[in-house]
Amino acid sequence: MLSLFVKLFHALNSESSTRQISLAIALGFIVGLSPLLTLHNIAFIFVVLLLRVNIGAFILALGFFKGLSYLLSSLIIMVGESLLTAPSLQPLFDTLYQISIFKLAHLHHTYTLGALVIGCLLAIPLYFLCNYLIEKYRIHIKAFFDKFRIVKALKASKFYSVYSQVSGQGSLS
Amino acid sequence: MSRFIRWQGLASFFVVIALLVTFVYFFADSLVKKGIEKSGEWYLGAEVNVNDVEIKYAPLTLNIEGFQATDPEKPTHNLVSFSQASAGVDVWQYLFGKIYISELNIVALRIDQPRLTLGEVYAANDKGIEDGSDGADESALPELDMSLPKVDDLLNNSDLLTIKHGKALEQSYQIEKDKLNELYKTLPNEDSLAIYKEKIKALSNTKIKTLADIDKLNKEFKALKKQFKADQAIVKQAKEQITASKDLLSKQTQALKDAPNADWKNIESKYQLESVDGADFAHLLFGEQAREYFGYADTVYQTIAPLVKSSKVDKEAKESVSGGRFVHFYDETPLPDVLIERANFSLILPQGEFAISGKELTHQHWIRGNKSIVEVKSDNVQGSGELTLALEFSLDQSHVLKSDGKWQLAKVGLKDVSLQESSAFNLTLNSGLLSGNGTFSLLDDQLDSENNFNLDNTEYTGTGTSHLSTLFIDTVQSLKELALTISAKGQITDPELSVSSPLDSQLKKSMVKQVSNKLTGFKTDVKAGLNTKLTEALGLSSEGEQSFVDVESLINDTDKALDNLMNSDVVKAKKKEFEDEQKKKLEDEVKKKLGKFFG
Repeated sequence: MLSLFVKLFHALNSESSTRQISLAIALGFIVGLSPLLTLHNIAFIFVVLLLRVNIGAFILALGFFKGLSYLLSSLIIMVGESLLTAPSLQPLFDTLYQISIFKLAHLHHTYTLGALVIGCLLAIPLYFLCNYLIEKYRIHIKAFFDKFRIVKALKASKFYSVYSQVSGQGSLS
Repeated sequence: MSRFIRWQGLASFFVVIALLVTFVYFFADSLVKKGIEKSGEWYLGAEVNVNDVEIKYAPLTLNIEGFQATDPEKPTHNLVSFSQASAGVDVWQYLFGKIYISELNIVALRIDQPRLTLGEVYAANDKGIEDGSDGADESALPELDMSLPKVDDLLNNSDLLTIKHGKALEQSYQIEKDKLNELYKTLPNEDSLAIYKEKIKALSNTKIKTLADIDKLNKEFKALKKQFKADQAIVKQAKEQITASKDLLSKQTQALKDAPNADWKNIESKYQLESVDGADFAHLLFGEQAREYFGYADTVYQTIAPLVKSSKVDKEAKESVSGGRFVHFYDETPLPDVLIERANFSLILPQGEFAISGKELTHQHWIRGNKSIVEVKSDNVQGSGELTLALEFSLDQSHVLKSDGKWQLAKVGLKDVSLQESSAFNLTLNSGLLSGNGTFSLLDDQLDSENNFNLDNTEYTGTGTSHLSTLFIDTVQSLKELALTISAKGQITDPELSVSSPLDSQLKKSMVKQVSNKLTGFKTDVKAGLNTKLTEALGLSSEGEQSFVDVESLINDTDKALDNLMNSDVVKAKKKEFEDEQKKKLEDEVKKKLGKFFG
């Protein structure tokens, strides 16, 4: 867990694209809200592994949002229940229900559908919010810490250059 | 492209998936075995053992070998056990969120069998499933206490109303008599009346010479009248007392006259003499057994009902574990959440081996519109007896359970069945051949069942503690066949049982005939004894009544005498006498003076 935090910290401070980190957090949010072994989660994990998103950020976000999902479970069920029982959506779900993959994905389950819908809807603003926050972090907070003499001394040390080479993360600056 | 795609990630994904599939393939048996044991233990609160689980994938079939579930209330025994079970599960439907078992077979299903080792109990079972025989205690049969008491003992019983009322009358008579005696002492007696008469006579003989003599006479007579009035007040009080006493004694005499009849009724009720005519012999003999069997039905209902009757349990469990629920939409081939299309069990009980087959077993019958059908067959009930039972049940969308069924039983040998064990008598059916048929229907929890039984070639033994109970046993022993109808209506947890049989009239005839002489003699003796008691008590009261009449007559005479004395007009008579005398004197003087004048 600690190494995951370190990786995230590295990613935040590295040259990794803010979009890579934000996308990992957004995907972690979608996967974290839903029950882990669902068809759509396997698809999202496939996407996470396939695309160059920050895996450390994804795993950390997944863990965080999985914990959050227990607090949000009644809201998730309520959303799923209202969607699946909405009379106006009955024809749509009647059609989808005839498709095996819909049932296989358990999208006719109130929790699964609620989690997927909330996850997908909130993932987009979350992505942009994370982008904004990481950029702000890099500009202001990182620059603020870099001004400290001790940080400068550390970076100038031989130990840090060796560590940077070994960790493969490149320079922090 | 490689700027966005991580090809090694793709490889990792497939490797992980392959590892997962491999793990499941190799360890699925152990995982399912553990799953069955742990979930069973969680549900029962006691140790559950599975010897082996085998999963076949094409088609998906689950085989369970050696299942044992410990009875949490009796850890030395299994609640249920079977040697082998197999279930064909539809994988797709399972993945879609439904359990569809095309065929379920359970071999050598046993209930309440001893375990080889003591089972662990993790939690007390608080389901409150009552034992089927519990109702028997509540319906403890009345003991047929037919031993008649001795007539003399009975008549000397101080609780008899005849005796009680007789004693009360005697006491009342004594009290009232004492009261009257006290009053009697204060009444003017014959001497007093004679003195009064003398005084009146003396006043009548008084010489009146002047008006002053009349005044004196008047004063003396008034003083005498004052005495008369005082005596009359005492007489009046005595009259009132005697009226009150007569009323009281009259009421108590009537109560005493009614007492023998009331006593006989009490004796009839206490010694159940009237029950010989109206006794429900069939219920007395077979009611307990019938209640016991309906108790088993209740136990089965209580166990199964929460599982089949409503899916509430299911829903609550799902919501508490993962939350949410499946919502199903229009389907060309709709399926319930849980469906066992065909099931075959072989159930082994101490009474025999039963082949149970089921079709369309589910708790959501309205989805496919089919009823669940269960058939039970056996050809070795209690040896060579034959049983067939067919029932169908269904639940509607409001979870109301409807069930109908019929059963037939033939050639069931019965041995050493205890029919009655009470302080009055013991009766055991040593042997007999039982056959019967019946129907039952259940609407929600309301049972309506009609069952007919025939017992042939019966042999009974029994002992009675009284002459009548011995007669009863003799009569039963003389019957070689017996028909019995047991109906149960009402709530399945507490049905109203009605047991009827030609046995009732047969026994009544025999019993009444056999006991009538004894009973008639007893009745005559007791009634004669009661009447004697009544006559004695009434004789006593008659004496008392006569003495009351005597006293009353005396009081009336005294009252009359006092009245006469009061009304004797001595003063007036004397006054008139004096006036006449003075008048005569005046006339004589006038004549004398006129004679002189006319000369």
